[in-house]
Amino acid sequence: MIIGLVYDLLRHEERMLIEAIRSRGQGLRLVFIPEKIDFLGSDSRGDDVDFVFQRCVSHYRALATTAILESQGIRVVNSYETIRDSGDKLVTTARLASRGVKVPRTAIAYSREGALMAAREIGYPVVIKPIMGSWGRMIARAKSEDDLLDIMDYREAMSSPHFKIHYIQQYVEKPGRDIRAFYVWGEVPTAIYRISQRWKTNTALGGKAAPANLTEEQVDLVIRAGDAMGGGVLGIDLLETREGETLVSEVNAVVEFRNTVQVTGYDLAGKIVEETIRVLRS
Amino acid sequence: MPELKCPVCFGAVKIPDDALDGELFEHEECGAQLELVTSNGSKTLRLAEEVGEDWGE
Repeated sequence: MIIGLVYDLLRHEERMLIEAIRSRGQGLRLVFIPEKIDFLGSDSRGDDVDFVFQRCVSHYRALATTAILESQGIRVVNSYETIRDSGDKLVTTARLASRGVKVPRTAIAYSREGALMAAREIGYPVVIKPIMGSWGRMIARAKSEDDLLDIMDYREAMSSPHFKIHYIQQYVEKPGRDIRAFYVWGEVPTAIYRISQRWKTNTALGGKAAPANLTEEQVDLVIRAGDAMGGGVLGIDLLETREGETLVSEVNAVVEFRNTVQVTGYDLAGKIVEETIRVLRS
Repeated sequence: MPELKCPVCFGAVKIPDDALDGELFEHEECGAQLELVTSNGSKTLRLAEEVGEDWGE
């Protein structure tokens, strides 16, 4: 089998996937996207690759290159649809909720007044998230209407139009951690807690990783969330409430896992490569 | 281990033999974050791209 790997930054995850592909005796085509040109409608097909792992850290590069590869008849992991929908928190939450996956109470408002009304209805504190974005950037918590008005001032000064769509969510009082679970073609091979004294637990912001043992209910929730987003290889973030419920907060389609491998010792890259080969061969 | 030229301070940067395009290196002498690329068939270093608004998972 020949496996493609498209990327724009060679991180530890890409190194681990490359090693996993090579060590299993599979062929590898590395494609460094910033140096590549694609002519649309040309007859270049990826006949020499069986499938491609999409690993661009830039969301729009990931979307663009996946669209082009799929238009050439090449299977990409993850699919354009899954990357697109996971990259937009509004679409992710809507898609999960419509399939009965438990998510925090969320409202979408299109104006300052609408945002204030939504927050009053949900009850403070609330969390305001950009619908596009990652690593916890620009996510803010409003403990009061004054806080929310300050945040809205910043959002209204942003030039990107997506900041005019206000994603307002119930603040979940977490037990000093959240959960990052990995969904690999319908299985949940490993998971970590992301522990932080801050309310934002992203490891990109300093949250510490530790191995997590999920309950059967949590594993089932991860599988249902992954299935709802179209399957493949996903990172699924869970929040534990004080009432003992678990909610899905986000889904990541070009998933990072170096911290997980470091603390669990689990060969996640190997699992991703083996399962993807198995599923796409069948 | 080949040596390439830092595009910021023009000092020498040692690169592992198995380095790949897109790999990042910090030049210890000047602190620049550099990215390995292949240009016209030869390996070279350029200033690494800054983190974009759409970067992430």
